[in-house]
Amino acid sequence: MTKRSTAALLLASAASIALMNTSAFAQAGRDYIYIVGSSTVYPFATVVAERFGRGSQFKTPKVESTGSGGGLKLFCDGVGVDYPDVANSSRAIKQSEMDRCSANGVHEIIEVKIGYDGIVVAAAMSSATMSLSRKDLFLALAKQVPGASSGQLVANPYKTWKDVNPTLPARAIEVLGPPPTSGTRDAFAELALEAGCQEIDWIAALKSSDSERFLTICHTVREDGVFVEAGENDNLIVQKLEANPSALGIFGFSFLDQNADKVKGEPIDGIAPSFDAIADGSYPVSRPLYFYVKKAHVDVIPGLRGYLREFTSDRAWGEFGYLSDRGLIPLPDEERSQVAAAVADLSPMSAAKN
Amino acid sequence: MTRSKNVSRQKVEAGLKQRRRRERWFQMLGLLATTIGVVFLLVFFSTLISKGSSAFMQTHIMLDVEYSAEIISPDGKPDTVYADYDAIIRNALMEIFPEVTDRRERRDLQRMVSIGAGYQMRAVIERDPSLIGTRQSIVVPAAANVDMVVKGNIDRDIDENLRPVSDRQLAWIDRLDAEGKLVTQFNTALFTNGDSREPELAGIRGALMGSLYMLVVTIVLAFPVGAAAAVYLEEFAPRNRWSDLIEVNINNLAAVPSIVFGLLALAVFINWMSLPRSAPLVGGLALSLLTLPVIIIASRAAIKSVPPSIREAALGVGASKMQVVFHHVLPLALPGMLTGAIIGMSRALGESAPLLMIGMVAFIVDVPAGFTDPATALPVQIYLWADSPERAFAERTSAAIIVLLGFLLLMNLTAVILRKRVERKW
Amino acid sequence: MTKLTQKEDSAVSHADAPDMQRSDRVSVAGERRGDTARAMEIGDTTVGNVRCADAFVTAEKVNVYYGDNHAIKDVTLEISRSEVIALIGPSGCGKSTFLRCLNRMNDTIESARVTGRITLDGQDIYSKELDPVALRARVGMVFQKPNPFPKSIYDNVAYGPRIHGLAADRSELDAIVHTSLDRAGLLKEVKDRLDEPGTGLSGGQQQRLCIARTIAVNPEVILMDEPCSALDPIATARIEDLMDELSQNYAIVIVTHSMQQAARVSKRVAYFHLGHLVEVDDTDRIFTNPQHKLTEDYITGRIG
Repeated sequence: MTKRSTAALLLASAASIALMNTSAFAQAGRDYIYIVGSSTVYPFATVVAERFGRGSQFKTPKVESTGSGGGLKLFCDGVGVDYPDVANSSRAIKQSEMDRCSANGVHEIIEVKIGYDGIVVAAAMSSATMSLSRKDLFLALAKQVPGASSGQLVANPYKTWKDVNPTLPARAIEVLGPPPTSGTRDAFAELALEAGCQEIDWIAALKSSDSERFLTICHTVREDGVFVEAGENDNLIVQKLEANPSALGIFGFSFLDQNADKVKGEPIDGIAPSFDAIADGSYPVSRPLYFYVKKAHVDVIPGLRGYLREFTSDRAWGEFGYLSDRGLIPLPDEERSQVAAAVADLSPMSAAKN
Repeated sequence: MTRSKNVSRQKVEAGLKQRRRRERWFQMLGLLATTIGVVFLLVFFSTLISKGSSAFMQTHIMLDVEYSAEIISPDGKPDTVYADYDAIIRNALMEIFPEVTDRRERRDLQRMVSIGAGYQMRAVIERDPSLIGTRQSIVVPAAANVDMVVKGNIDRDIDENLRPVSDRQLAWIDRLDAEGKLVTQFNTALFTNGDSREPELAGIRGALMGSLYMLVVTIVLAFPVGAAAAVYLEEFAPRNRWSDLIEVNINNLAAVPSIVFGLLALAVFINWMSLPRSAPLVGGLALSLLTLPVIIIASRAAIKSVPPSIREAALGVGASKMQVVFHHVLPLALPGMLTGAIIGMSRALGESAPLLMIGMVAFIVDVPAGFTDPATALPVQIYLWADSPERAFAERTSAAIIVLLGFLLLMNLTAVILRKRVERKW
Repeated sequence: MTKLTQKEDSAVSHADAPDMQRSDRVSVAGERRGDTARAMEIGDTTVGNVRCADAFVTAEKVNVYYGDNHAIKDVTLEISRSEVIALIGPSGCGKSTFLRCLNRMNDTIESARVTGRITLDGQDIYSKELDPVALRARVGMVFQKPNPFPKSIYDNVAYGPRIHGLAADRSELDAIVHTSLDRAGLLKEVKDRLDEPGTGLSGGQQQRLCIARTIAVNPEVILMDEPCSALDPIATARIEDLMDELSQNYAIVIVTHSMQQAARVSKRVAYFHLGHLVEVDDTDRIFTNPQHKLTEDYITGRIG
């Protein structure tokens, strides 16, 4: 063999040995917990992760903010050290996602409901308070609104809140909200817009007859610049609201809590967003937060049991726990102990809620 | 003859005024452009420094603590890991504020001290167990809200319900201040700690190490490969359609959005080669792909600029093509190649989009110890902190930006110095 | 003045005339003073002595093309072992091109194509068996603009011997460097500062350094491409003196723009015109009694 080809052969074999070693090495075993999922649950999961890491001999779990959908997709990609152990979600897992999980070998999933999060419609502290109904929100933000006759839809013509509801002030409609990739947007669409559009009878009737059309009408947000997608950065929305007192912003309650001196939450259907109002369910735009754990990983990944125990301890998610300090609204006492018990037993969920 | 010369002279004179005026205009425009640039730069830096400089100082509370044996060694043996250090802090606070008896009030009081105080005491006891049973005066970090009050970032005059600190806590803070127990020190935690959800404990060390590991991987891979590719393309490759195609493609690659390299890294390194996710090794690989075209282009320009007279002289003495390249062209092209490499590195240091795809945008508390430990990078850390609701993270975000810019400045300075040293006159 | 234009016109018209006799040797050879001077064409032979005794470098029917441009047309020339031969001619006549063929420097130009046969000591320099690297160790070159390496004076001269492995150890290398610098007439001036950069010397010194570098590899032929054109008269004079000494050990082929220089340093002169080798003869004879009209025109200053 010539010198050149010998050299090439040696190089190729060295490279392939290196490659093989890296893949073997990756399989060797992960000694930290790997959590993905919702950006709404992220602030809470990270606090628990840090406390767990510092308070124990285990490594601090790694938490990625991928969005609920993205997180569940990664979660359901398979079982093993290459896949996440926990998926945070700002909505319940769908049946289609559970089916995908099964198909990829993820059979036993433990569902943990951790508390509630409110979605607020906020404005600068200096602006006049507007009490909005969910129907008002739908009419102001939907892409297509009902026209003069029943069954007719027109492109949204409303420019001021007064156009939508004569009792509201003549302020230009300007709303800053999350992009379609955000779980918060999905939740807002479902809890506020959908509820609002159901107040129009003929649309409500569509829910049973043509559910796809119903969802399209109720969830599609206008794109003419009145609703501004302000990205995932809620700090930015707060700053913009401060600068523009006539605008409204949509974000989670925890942000309102942390910036209570700068912004305030408008009452929705007569109820102002507050810790208690969300906790007892009277504030309408609130949703439960979850995380999902693979039972198969529990004794394989070191510390997973401990993390679950920490998250479901009163110290964390209780009424005076450190998560409520961050804006998580705790479950009612009874529900809390139920979930804690289920987690301690590692009982898997049977089916998704939808 | 002479008459036409006179006419020409007159024409030149006539046009001269306008020419000079145009030149003055152009100079003014240039000055204006430079001034605008400088003004923007000044505004940027002054905003940054005004927002971020306060993060380099952190409020601490001086406490007299008793490392009570009952608390640390409840069963006779010291249990430094799980001991209730919060109780020790509670006792110390009770000594200062004996009038606080209500459970809720006590919790409020305790919230003024950072949870890091407990970890700090644990570290102290683990290092020196002989301290158990003694009384010590320690300085512990105050909670972020207390820090914000002391720095004036929380408005004391607004309604209590709208503030993260209650009136009660404000009164306690004032009292601690009056008794001289509030100390403002340099925020070493910013540089020694990894990420945290508590702003007063959050630091950039993890991100810094992650960035450093990535840069090492990048430079080790991208510079030799890029330099070799440039040498081959400039000196040895035949000038035909293929080499033109390669040149066009390399120029294009230099302009490809960086997130595409992230997608590539995800598909090839993580999915196909099964390298660990969030590792600086993978980040470095992605960034070296990003930097490669930049280095190749800069190196080619440097090689092209070596005068042909040197090459001819070497050839004339009987040097082979390889010897001409390696003994003469490369040493002369080295300053340009190094500058290109460092500029490429600077760009890589500030990239965060490709890291998003490979899982380096995550909450990672532990400082990475090697190339395969999960890590994050400095620009990513800035992004994560910018997204956090806690007020105290706003100033830390700006502080982290200052550190990042400082690094970039350092790298560019190194480029200039290196270039000056390696430069040879020809 | 009028006479010149007349001759120019007739020269041009003769060149264009298709029925002009070309293969008539006698009529070409018989072009003497007083007759109209026309440009040379392919097939015309060179006047004078292209051959020489003890030929070391021979060029037979060499043609050089740069793409479509026919730069060197059918040149045949012999150069002996230790003589100084000057190649002269007006700008663009191809003398540098021809020179660069002798050490295959034209290989570096992609569009260059060389036909014909050039031999060094009987061996065809374009044959596959001969490595150009080895050739260039035997046929050295000094360039128009001094181009020392950006290294120390010592390293400049030592580079050639190092890469060719001519010195077994440091002391032998030192000896070679010293000898070369001495022969180039530079040693006395730089003896104490061999570690200083070569680029720090004056123009004339740099050129002598380049000469030292060339002779350090112990070549047999030294090609010089207008070596003094960038130097002042004093430096020029020193190098011309050097050439005389060097010619005892090496064959020197010098391309020069200056006829006076050719007259001073060379034993033979070859006159090129538009790619043709017009005349080759001993220096005295060519300058006092040129055979070809073109040569005469050039020497007397009518063209060039």
